[in-house]
Amino acid sequence: MTPGVSVDIGGLRLGGPVLAASGTFGYGTEVPLLERRALGALVSKGIFLRPREGSAPPRIAETPSGMLNAIGLQGPGVEAVVRDYAPMWAEWDFPVLVNINGESASEYGELAARLDGVPGIAGFEINISCPNVEQGGLYFGNDPRAAAAVTESVRKRTKLPLWVKLTPMVSDIGVIARAVESAGADALCAINTFVGMSIDLNAYRPRLSFRTGGLSGPAIRPLAVHLAHQAARAVDIPVIGVGGIIRAEDALEFLVAGCSAVQVGTATFVNPKAIAEIHDGILGFLEARGLSSLAELPRYLPRD
Amino acid sequence: MFLLDASIMGRRQVARGMFVIGMHAPEIATTVRAGQFVNLGWASGPLLRRPFSVYRADGEHIEVVLKAVGLGTAQLLAMELGDRVSCLGPLGRGFELAGANAVLISGGLGVAPMPLAARDARAVGMEVTWVHGARTAAELCAEAGGDRVIWATDDGSQGIQGTAVAASPDAEAVLACGPNRMLAAVAERWPHAQVSVETYMGCGTGVCLGCAMPLKRGGYDRACTEGPVYRAADVDWGALPSHLAYAVGT
Ligand SMILES: Cc1cc2nc3c(=O)[nH]c(=O)nc-3n(C[C@H](O)[C@H](O)[C@H](O)COP(=O)(O)OP(=O)(O)OC[C@H]3O[C@@H](n4cnc5c(N)ncnc54)[C@H](O)[C@@H]3O)c2cc1C
Ligand SMILES: Cc1cc2nc3c(=O)[nH]c(=O)nc-3n(C[C@H](O)[C@H](O)[C@H](O)COP(=O)(O)O)c2cc1C
Ligand code: FES
Repeated sequence: MTPGVSVDIGGLRLGGPVLAASGTFGYGTEVPLLERRALGALVSKGIFLRPREGSAPPRIAETPSGMLNAIGLQGPGVEAVVRDYAPMWAEWDFPVLVNINGESASEYGELAARLDGVPGIAGFEINISCPNVEQGGLYFGNDPRAAAAVTESVRKRTKLPLWVKLTPMVSDIGVIARAVESAGADALCAINTFVGMSIDLNAYRPRLSFRTGGLSGPAIRPLAVHLAHQAARAVDIPVIGVGGIIRAEDALEFLVAGCSAVQVGTATFVNPKAIAEIHDGILGFLEARGLSSLAELPRYLPRD
Repeated sequence: MFLLDASIMGRRQVARGMFVIGMHAPEIATTVRAGQFVNLGWASGPLLRRPFSVYRADGEHIEVVLKAVGLGTAQLLAMELGDRVSCLGPLGRGFELAGANAVLISGGLGVAPMPLAARDARAVGMEVTWVHGARTAAELCAEAGGDRVIWATDDGSQGIQGTAVAASPDAEAVLACGPNRMLAAVAERWPHAQVSVETYMGCGTGVCLGCAMPLKRGGYDRACTEGPVYRAADVDWGALPSHLAYAVGT
């Protein structure tokens, strides 16, 4: 018998524990060779109220076992999402959450209000952790009061599931995790990219035009497992682990460390079938260990 | 678009440091159009795939042409026959071929998309002139071909002394590939030219937005999806990074 892998994330039922991470799957329409059966949910590319051009090239640089990106949240703005993408999402058999961004707490709230009730939108992932924009982004993720204010501002405008995506660039992720939990988050995503820099020795300047970028990929995996684990220990709501997952074993590390689900980002660039292979690998692991469902997977989550 | 596990079937040298690698990739070979590319990855290679224009395609095989410019290309060139490469493609939008005649202008490794372009242009009845330039005779790709071939070298060691762009006649369709600086010169002379432009690529499939191509009308689009072939006048050449290896040519 195939082990059960459906999960409940703060009231949202997902067919599987492997989700597509924001910014690595577009709006779901671009992805080639998509195997929908394996996708627990899709989180859209981050959007703002208004269209944004994004940053100048070069926007990406490969680093050991990872990459830096400074896309700058290029996007068409909320009206285009409502008009062009949501109607498609409404037809799909997995939920789509929108990754929302703003320059002020009230802007996040306004964005959620505009999207609330639009068919095809199953929930929100609040991005308080983007390192690649001048205003907002990381600032909200660094300060527990600002993080809570953004979460509250969105919570007031929608009853849909609300996830908050945390930044790793903090001294104690547990403090931020508890602050957004109290402010009404239904789940947490840990983590967004680390801020990094890489220098071009021929040009004597940073390889990215934005100077810094977000580091993703296998290079950050042990850091991400630790931070997701710390977040999971700090709160009672589910935590979704993100960072450097390439294979099923990587995803299982996050799950054992206390996460309820995982998101896969950079791996999709390398292998468009990564999500399906990770999903199938988790099934195979459970079967091989004689576990009849994901719920039976032993967790390492001591309570302080 | 296909994701294939392709065996390396052959390798030959076509200029100093420049090699053609053949791969068994039937579904890509039969569907690829001139100007499209494949994104290659391999075990124990770099994390991200590496994009290469399809050089030739016939029957069940495709070819790419490359030089060792970094770790990835050096590893590809060190592979043995029978080794496997994960091949994703065909990707991107290629050349549009219509008219009575075409001139193909290639600088150095810019030969890459041209054999397919010559094939497809002749298939629709166009007369093809191929202008191929390099720094010196030893760096000219030996396989340029067409109804007429014009060679150009910076040092005058073969053909016309000077750039391929300067050596090129006018034609109804102008197709070009080479360093950004060369393509900017093409844009000055033939705004309607179709140019194949390189950028760094994260995914090659349109999801990462890492391959931003600055446009004259403002904003960016994706070189991997809306490109890599552009109308020369549409690209904001001044906004492309000028300090990278691919901007100046290696
Ligand atoms: C659509 C497209 C088609 C291409 N077709 C070909 C082709 O047919 N033949 C070929 O030899 N190369 C082609 N390239 C360039 C090729 O992808 C790069 O040379 C390759 O990725 C370098 O990998 P590396 O690991 O060897 O170099 P790295 O170690 O990553 O870098 C070494 C040097 O190569 C430069 N470089 C890295 N990436 C690129 C890039 N995308 N374009 C140009 N320079 C780069 C770097 O600036 C650096 O100086 C193409 C690129 C694109 C975007
Ligand atoms: C090119 C790129 C774009 C991204 N865009 C977003 C975004 O718009 N919003 C967001 O919350 N996270 C964004 N991320 C972060 C990822 O969702 C993920 O948190 C991070 O990459 C770590 O996971 P990974 O190592 O599996 O890629 C982006 C990551 C990359 C590589
Ligand atoms: S390379 Fe990822 S969108 Fe073009």
